[in-house]
Amino acid sequence: MNRPEKHPDYSDQDLLENYYRDGNTEWLGLLLPRYTLLLLGVCMKYLKNEEEAKDCVQQVFLKAITELAKYRVEYFKAWIYMVAKNHCLMRIRDRQGKRSIEINDFHVPSMDETTEGNPHLEKDELLNRMSDALAQLNNEQKQCIILFYLEKRSYQEIAETTGYTLLQVKSYIQNGKRNMKIMLENRMRSGK
Amino acid sequence: MSDLLNILSNSNKDIDNQKLMDYLSGKLSASEKHEVEKQMAENAMVNDAVEGLQQFKDQKHLESYVDQLQKQLNSYIRQKKARRAKWFKGQYEQWIYFSLVLVLLLIIIAYVVIKRLAHA
Repeated sequence: MNRPEKHPDYSDQDLLENYYRDGNTEWLGLLLPRYTLLLLGVCMKYLKNEEEAKDCVQQVFLKAITELAKYRVEYFKAWIYMVAKNHCLMRIRDRQGKRSIEINDFHVPSMDETTEGNPHLEKDELLNRMSDALAQLNNEQKQCIILFYLEKRSYQEIAETTGYTLLQVKSYIQNGKRNMKIMLENRMRSGK
Repeated sequence: MSDLLNILSNSNKDIDNQKLMDYLSGKLSASEKHEVEKQMAENAMVNDAVEGLQQFKDQKHLESYVDQLQKQLNSYIRQKKARRAKWFKGQYEQWIYFSLVLVLLLIIIAYVVIKRLAHA
């Protein structure tokens, strides 16, 4: 028989499957601690208070244990992220006494999406289109994308090279990346 | 140039907690930093987490919070398991008592029926 303590190297999915098979919460006792630090960071980002963030992670753990017993979850990381964000949002709403909307607008990735999202495109063709999209970005975004993705520089190094602040570097990379994806999707839609 | 394809990546891969802590305390080399930042660019949860963790005033607080949370979780899970075991034990005992009563009833009924048949 599988015993939780004997399998510390199981993947998240394996641990969840084992939990669904025998209902032993010890499997969750192996799975949830893997996310303590990430959840603490997520809750801190939204709540901006150390004690409250810690308390929120505890609540998220309890909610996860209760909810996982009720239904199957396929992609645990995306799911626990959504639970944590919604919980933070509820707290903020309680603090402010305002009505709020659940955050459900983020993309739930299918394990690991890379170029699999464009199965009909050959790699070379995709690269050509990416290069075209890169060329169309504004100078700041283009410069940061090249330094980050092609020259593999860290945010700090890019900031030192370009003179931008760390926040600007991060924002140029994120916005540039989003713009390139949009350009690529538009070209695919128009079939060019 | 093929590294450009990384821009399309939307990774759900796990990030090592120790690496994350080392990133926060600035202990990583430039290439290791880049690896963490690549994960941040590819995964919204990692990005939010790093932004939040950077707001903690003291790294020692962070480690003690993680430690406390894990202890609380383990203790909750142990209690839950003990409650579940107790519930199962209770159910098991109930069935044993029910079976005993049923067997006794059957014996009594059989005795009564045999006695009546013998009289007839």
